[in-house]
Amino acid sequence: MNTLPYFDPALMIALPLLAAFLIPLLKRASERIPKFVPLLILGFNLYESIALLPHSLQKPIVVIIAAWQPPLGINLTIGPLGNILALIISLVGFVVAVYNIKFVLEEPGEKYYMLFLLMITGATGMVLTGDLFNLFVFLEITSISAYALTAFIRDRNGAEAAFKYLLIGSISSTMILLGIALIYASTGTLNMADIAQKIGQVDSRITLAALILMIVGFGVESEIFPLNGWAPDAYSQAPTPVGAVFGGIVVKAGVYGLARVIYTIFSFQGVFHFILIMGIITLLMAEMSALRQKQIKRMLAFSSIGQMGLVLIALGLATQNAVAGGLFQMFNHALIKPLLFLSAGYLVYYSGSKDIGDLDGMGKIKPVTSFFFAFGAFALMGLPPLNGFWSKLIIISETVKSGYIVLAALALTGSIIEAVYYLRVVGRLYFKSPEEHVKTKYVHASAVVAMSILAGLALFAGLFPDVILHYLQPAARELMDKTQYIQAVIAIK
Amino acid sequence: MIYYIGAFSLILIGIYAVLVKRNLIKIVIGLSLVDAGVHLLLIAIGYIKDKTAPIFSNPSLSAGDMVDPVPQALVLTAIVIGVAVTALALTIVIRLYDHHKTLNINKIRELKW
Repeated sequence: MNTLPYFDPALMIALPLLAAFLIPLLKRASERIPKFVPLLILGFNLYESIALLPHSLQKPIVVIIAAWQPPLGINLTIGPLGNILALIISLVGFVVAVYNIKFVLEEPGEKYYMLFLLMITGATGMVLTGDLFNLFVFLEITSISAYALTAFIRDRNGAEAAFKYLLIGSISSTMILLGIALIYASTGTLNMADIAQKIGQVDSRITLAALILMIVGFGVESEIFPLNGWAPDAYSQAPTPVGAVFGGIVVKAGVYGLARVIYTIFSFQGVFHFILIMGIITLLMAEMSALRQKQIKRMLAFSSIGQMGLVLIALGLATQNAVAGGLFQMFNHALIKPLLFLSAGYLVYYSGSKDIGDLDGMGKIKPVTSFFFAFGAFALMGLPPLNGFWSKLIIISETVKSGYIVLAALALTGSIIEAVYYLRVVGRLYFKSPEEHVKTKYVHASAVVAMSILAGLALFAGLFPDVILHYLQPAARELMDKTQYIQAVIAIK
Repeated sequence: MIYYIGAFSLILIGIYAVLVKRNLIKIVIGLSLVDAGVHLLLIAIGYIKDKTAPIFSNPSLSAGDMVDPVPQALVLTAIVIGVAVTALALTIVIRLYDHHKTLNINKIRELKW
């Protein structure tokens, strides 16, 4: 197998961080530079994560930082799972950076690009790090820039949404820190592989307390019910590309944290049932709330929560195929949700209101944007041969195989509700007569390119699911069997 | 022991403030209190009786005379994060006040499920 040359993986975190703080300086040279910096950096990250993939599939790559050996020093541990998620994050980030070249409304300042890059830094760092405290620090970088981006449009609702998000987010991260304190007190180490090795000897009451604190902490970013109250407000008040980034990146990093904690660090048997039940409640609550939304972005936000519920069901089943299906669902969601958000952003701009009711007949006036929205909606609903079909099929058939027939039925009900509200919007786009006062600005080429990349990949994943699953199976194996992960880090000593 | 009691009471007081107080500034103070409580807990975990700070300030000190340095490094990082969160929270509070002319959280309720 011919492999691409790759650089030090630590650059995937260091470069966006450096670039984020260089942006204000670069802006002094030229007003136009800041918007192209994320494009360049994310292009590098995308290349790097593709080049690393063949290596990390064979054996987790351990990168030692500043010559401090694990378990004392901080190290990056790049297994298949982290690598694939880094790839997804870079991909979504790159597409959003392309979309950012030309804004729908007014151009944001350089601060926007700075925060965007910081968020990428945090999310990439989260999926690559091998140190528990480092995971917390990167989570904080991600969420602080997410709070700031939520409030980026300086209106009253933006500030309110951001404050809600900040409140729940910072309480949850304190919970994680408390959990880390408990773990450190009882194992004396912060390296995740080392903790995973020693956790068996710890009093199970302490492990349970730490586990609950961590699930609550990561549950906020991964939108588990009832910790997801921030999501609809933040998604709908933030600028459109930020909504896409929340769905495609922040949530994925949160789910990664959750999966890493429950599978690798603790592997506590009873917790999987709990995750399974929370998943189904999250799914049903979100789909029913989405059904009654009148604003399109809020509807998309609730649907995003529902998709995460499906991922949680897959994680809770804890069989290898189910976990692979859950990862596939995450991959699909990372492609489709940004596509829906980006196209919805234009639809909202054309109709001049956020309401679904004002989107009548857009399919006739704005065929390109409407086509992308409809495509995304069909892919998310799981219409074969698009990608959403395969991941849902795997998750639901695994649920039945594990003997949870009722849960499978409930998950299917959720999918039907989802189909109802997406079809309602698509129906309005195409089968209602348009209103007169629609703005006649065309979609900018950069947005079309961004949406085409996402749609093309979604179609590819739908036509050739085996290609994607070939890469996801090792990632699922990494979660199910933690010995390889531990071995890779311990071998360094 | 006293440190653990102090840490947990700080955390509980902070959570109480966040949940019960209606004034935005008091909620932010509550967040900072929870943070401070967790920091104190971390330091208390690493504390060993009669040992000194993990700095080679005096050539006669050996590693055995010092407290565990790792929690101190963690707390240093966590304090910086806490400052960032508090600063951001306060800017958002200022903006909320500009728009709503009130700090009472019950009167700022435009977004709902």
